[in-house]
Amino acid sequence: MKRIRLFFQNRRQRVLVGVILSASLLLILCIVGAFCADAARVTDFSRKNLEPGIPYLFGTDWLGRDMLMRTLAGLSLSIGLGVLAAAVSACIALILGIISATMGKTADTIITFLIDLMMGIPHILLLILVSVALGRGFRGVACGVALTHWPSLARLIRAEVLQLKEQPYIQIARKLGKSNWYLAKKHILPHILPQFFTGLVLMFPHAILHESSITFLGFGLSAEQPAIGIILSESMKYLVTGKWWLAVCPGVMLAAVVMLFYLTGEQIRKLLDPGSVHE
Amino acid sequence: MQKKQRKKRILVSILLLAFSLCTGCTQGSGTGNSDQEDKTSTAQKESKDSVIVTMPVTSEPEAGFDPAYGWGAGEHVHEPLIQSTLTTTNAELDIEMDLATEYQASEDGLTWTVKIRDDVRFTDGEPLTASDVAFTYNVCREKSTVNDFTMLENAEAVDDTTVVFHMARPFSIWPYTMAVVGIVPEHAYDESYGQHPIGSGRYIMKQWDRGQQVILEANPDYYGTAPTMKKVTILFMEEDAAFTAALTGQVDVAHTAASYSDQTIDGYDLLAVQTVDNRGFNLPSTEPEEIDGVLYGNAFTADPEVRRAINIGIDRKEMIDHVLNGYGTEAYSVCDKLPWYNSACEVTYQPEEAKKLLTEAGWTVGEDGIREKDGIRAAFTLLFSNGDSVRQALAEDTANQLKELGIEVTTEGVGWDTAYTRAQSEPLMWGWGAHTPMELYNLYHSNSGSKTGFAEYSPYANETVDRYMDEALAASDLETSISLWQKAQWDGSTGITQEGDMPWIWLCNIDHLYYVRDGLHIAEQKIHPHGHGWSIVNNVDQWSWTEE
Repeated sequence: MKRIRLFFQNRRQRVLVGVILSASLLLILCIVGAFCADAARVTDFSRKNLEPGIPYLFGTDWLGRDMLMRTLAGLSLSIGLGVLAAAVSACIALILGIISATMGKTADTIITFLIDLMMGIPHILLLILVSVALGRGFRGVACGVALTHWPSLARLIRAEVLQLKEQPYIQIARKLGKSNWYLAKKHILPHILPQFFTGLVLMFPHAILHESSITFLGFGLSAEQPAIGIILSESMKYLVTGKWWLAVCPGVMLAAVVMLFYLTGEQIRKLLDPGSVHE
Repeated sequence: MQKKQRKKRILVSILLLAFSLCTGCTQGSGTGNSDQEDKTSTAQKESKDSVIVTMPVTSEPEAGFDPAYGWGAGEHVHEPLIQSTLTTTNAELDIEMDLATEYQASEDGLTWTVKIRDDVRFTDGEPLTASDVAFTYNVCREKSTVNDFTMLENAEAVDDTTVVFHMARPFSIWPYTMAVVGIVPEHAYDESYGQHPIGSGRYIMKQWDRGQQVILEANPDYYGTAPTMKKVTILFMEEDAAFTAALTGQVDVAHTAASYSDQTIDGYDLLAVQTVDNRGFNLPSTEPEEIDGVLYGNAFTADPEVRRAINIGIDRKEMIDHVLNGYGTEAYSVCDKLPWYNSACEVTYQPEEAKKLLTEAGWTVGEDGIREKDGIRAAFTLLFSNGDSVRQALAEDTANQLKELGIEVTTEGVGWDTAYTRAQSEPLMWGWGAHTPMELYNLYHSNSGSKTGFAEYSPYANETVDRYMDEALAASDLETSISLWQKAQWDGSTGITQEGDMPWIWLCNIDHLYYVRDGLHIAEQKIHPHGHGWSIVNNVDQWSWTEE
């Protein structure tokens, strides 16, 4: 009993449990969804347009597809795509951010210009361009999301590194004749890792929402794939005839997943960067 | 505390974002039109000689109302309303006269002489003469990218009422072309004609708000029977918006799709119009080979027994009930119910016979229930165009049905940018159907525009079929031509039917559905071609309201 009370007083532990819980929820969702992928494509016209109930918790659509299966498969696809794209994006940001701050003025100018350029173009427009240029589909969307989400994180990392560079211990290390590479690896990277991970996790919800919107607009995945964007855009046609479950259930699930990612990101930030609590 | 609020705000904004993702689109398309609709619908209640009709957004002619850019004579043929045509087709699709008083082809089919009426004026008061006709056809031949005019060498006005068409090659079905080309005035034609069309037809275009509506008013000086419907407003909108518009009573005729057909709207009846708007898929009929970097042919569907088995192994009735809620008819050819249809195309559903055909051809069932022969799996990808829910459903149902035969079909949505190329080696769900036998030529003739020696849209070639179609085009009169078109489909020993090569499988003709306001009488429709748009208003001049 005492232990439990202690646990609730220990914020760090609470947060840790929270992270593990939401992360494993997402992982389970991802795995279950992957197993649903085949079931999500099964069409059966004898069970079309059913309202949510038993055995079809989320109802069925006009092809008689089980909406629960489609939603799970779609979310798992989105999560996979989000993780992939966010990881690539974050790595680009990390590398560019460090180069920009440590490799001298010219490199900095070029990369800052690149960042400004990318941030100047509306996200969704660039995404559509990249996706269409690469022939749509999974590859197009993944590359599109990966190539458009790095600038803000890159800027953050650059600023952080610039600040670090002026720290006395780094100045001293430099005076002792350590190379740029050594400084970056030993003294700078460990300090920006918390920022990096938080940025990475907070990028997921962005990536997922963008994947859904680009597919919704018809520039992403093709129609037979169970993707949340596809599900939502199909449901539009049937909302007017009162088939609310086609949009509501998958939409709520999408919002829930995005929130879960967001919470995880916040909690990771608290863990890795305890100082931020006092902000 | 502050921290918590911030978090809440962010959560709320995420939720809003997700929600706006769901709702954004309907709002966009819905509000755009509502102002116009309100105005027009109040006008409607006052007068009983106007009508408001909705059409799909894609029916709006992008390049305007210019026949040279596909108005009336484009991918989807219909009567041009604003302009008049030389001939016209009746409900049985036989040729009748409009501007023409008589026409005649020479023995060799290389000249067509057409006499026209001398009492017709354009709506700007100028008389319509043979030189306007010649001008129109010459412009179409030079400019038209959507319809084929290469059979015409040039058109020449001999005197004020006589036009002579000099043909590059015999083209016996020329009267069907003359039925869709609207005559434009030579004196008032320029590049912007499509935006301000002047014609001699039943209606005058009063207003065109791009992306929204077109308003047509009856031509007071029309030379034929005066239109009873004085004002026709066409609104361009998606099916869901059209449904809402009917629900709120803003329109008189709203186009709709089978997926809405179980909904009833007070004050409206559902009208189903028979069509040749067919859906079917091609089966590449040659062995795979690569030509100029494009793959032609398909190892599985190259076997004619496979194609025959698929044709009789598909339960079209079930498909229509499932996918179209019963609003459709079984299709056995690209031209069902048209004068040039050969009833030998018809088959019955025989699943056992289909399995037998496959087994006899050496396709034996493997361990997973899918057939195989010499290491080739009985499988193909069936493509459909992204966003077309009916074609997607037909593709899915085809996949389900063919699985029973031991054929594995996977479906894939594609864009039209890649669909044409991929269809050379993989079946694609197509939609066809036009008021001209040229469609047979375009699908089955091996010289129809391709350099490969195959038919244009799916690799197939049969000399006998080609010869019948060439003869049909060279025939001196329509009757002979039509019987030759029928022979091209099946002549008793070869053709494109079940007993023949079966390079295309036809599934169904999709009824065109409309919610029609009670009291509005829509004149008898001729069988609608492909395209759920302008066909319905072909005879809008004869529509009427029941007096209350």
